[in-house]
Amino acid sequence: MLLGSLVSGAVEAFVPRESITRWLPKNYAAAIAVSALMGLVLPMCECASVVVIRRLIRKGLPLSCAITYMMGAPIVSPVVALSTYVAFRGQNPLEMTLLRLVIGFLIAVGVGMAVRDIPAEKLLQPAMLDSLPGRRRTGLSMAVAGNDSTLDLGGEGLRGKLFRTVQSATSDFLDVTFFFVVGAAIASTFNTAVNQNLLIPLATNPALSVMAMMVLAFALALCSSTNAFIAVSFRMFPPSAKLAFLLFGPVFDTKLFFMYGAVFRRWFVLSLGIGLFIVIALICNHLGLILNI
Amino acid sequence: MTTLFNRWLPGVTLLAWSAVLLSFYISGRIASFLIPAFRVNVLLAGLVFLGMACCFLFLPAVANCCDEERCGHPLGRNKLGRIATFLILLLPVVTAALCSPKNFGATTILNKGIVTDAGGLVMRKTPQKLAQPAAPAIASNPAEPALPTKDGSQPAAQASPAATQTDADNYLPKSKEGNIQLQVLDLLYAAQDTSMRADFEGKTVEVIGQLMPAEADLAGANRFKLMRMFMWCCAADAKPIAALVEAPEKPTAPEMAWVKVVGKVTFPVEGGRTIPVLKAISVKQTEPPEETMLY
Repeated sequence: MLLGSLVSGAVEAFVPRESITRWLPKNYAAAIAVSALMGLVLPMCECASVVVIRRLIRKGLPLSCAITYMMGAPIVSPVVALSTYVAFRGQNPLEMTLLRLVIGFLIAVGVGMAVRDIPAEKLLQPAMLDSLPGRRRTGLSMAVAGNDSTLDLGGEGLRGKLFRTVQSATSDFLDVTFFFVVGAAIASTFNTAVNQNLLIPLATNPALSVMAMMVLAFALALCSSTNAFIAVSFRMFPPSAKLAFLLFGPVFDTKLFFMYGAVFRRWFVLSLGIGLFIVIALICNHLGLILNI
Repeated sequence: MTTLFNRWLPGVTLLAWSAVLLSFYISGRIASFLIPAFRVNVLLAGLVFLGMACCFLFLPAVANCCDEERCGHPLGRNKLGRIATFLILLLPVVTAALCSPKNFGATTILNKGIVTDAGGLVMRKTPQKLAQPAAPAIASNPAEPALPTKDGSQPAAQASPAATQTDADNYLPKSKEGNIQLQVLDLLYAAQDTSMRADFEGKTVEVIGQLMPAEADLAGANRFKLMRMFMWCCAADAKPIAALVEAPEKPTAPEMAWVKVVGKVTFPVEGGRTIPVLKAISVKQTEPPEETMLY
């Protein structure tokens, strides 16, 4: 969270608005695909990516690309790939790692494409929208950031930019941490007060096992860089259910439900959660049948 | 009022978070919450928060949080709501820092589900055996049926289960009394590794852990579980792991008490799988180890 806030603050202070989209391909599909792969060069866990995209959206990154990055970064990243491979040693690690990365990438691209034509007014919280007085379309149109209310004591010098970084980082940290604290409190209650063994009888039914592991991923709200180690410990569950755990948790869990609320409207957060649940459950069930995992 | 929400409350919040992180690091309490490799990050984060707080408290920095136009907090519609927002940012963290226990309670451990099989774990560091040259492989459990060889024939007769002198005796850490010092984790891994079993089986070892009652189907003969928490990254992903202990008499220590068990290692086959059972010679209540978690 802190690292994400500092990156966000640095983006605000050091990255000119017009340069934020310069590196994006002009072709829409290619831009979405590049956004889904941004986690390979800017690896962020799911919490940090929420903080970062708020600033990137204000800096003019197209909303659909920002959402794609938010969905992709917690899965399509070298840290997650390595941790998944290590966790699944002795249990087809390469297969599980590749499946996680490729399906995570496809899901991120799919979400990006799905929100392409939805106006920003319907997606973003009013407070976020107020900071985007420019064009408020998604797709590749830019939402130009407005004036920031933080002080610029040092003019254009390095000292001033560092000062601005601190101010912006603090704003972002306080904005999102509020939701993080609420979500983490609920997740930790489940993690300690609810008997997780109650899910074990569902392990023998392929379809139910997939859904049970997704519910568990939502409730536990574990970091995407370490959740593979927990997935492995559920030995009774089939690999397809573990894959569902690894795909769903990083993009939608208890804390993210609240943190997304700092950026997006409630209907979109709910729709995103339900949509992701259905799509990932279907994919993992089918993979379980096709690949016999 | 704007100054309060844009400068002083953000500054105080950052200072409180800094104080919590630095006090956890300096006091060593962080050991119960984070693996060693990540602890330095807590120190760094505490210092960064402190620096950021200084910018707000001693320089006129402002954060556009909870002023009416820009804040995205759901409670920030009026003055009380904005104050409540900062309380939510401050109180849970400070309360948890002051009141959270050092160890998990028995109910939490049962809710998390105790792992008694190393197949559900991933090794963070190399177990004691694997760090050394391979000892002679001895399949030392007479109750366990030997796996057939590739051509279908039965393997050669197995060695005696009695304690055998192996290379492992030269490098495994020993107590003053000459007992091999093991962790619960070593016993779980050994149950799945023939050569590791040979290193431990029949030897007198001492293991420290927390006392937990055994399940009904494993109970009997004064059995209990010797439990430790195993952590991959942080307390959120910590899992309880346990090996069975068979004591000569019912242990007097209460549930969750730290005990040092001295006993002989055995690997019987129960319920179709090889499990570690420590035949206790003595069970004594002891102080918790410096690092209560295993990594």
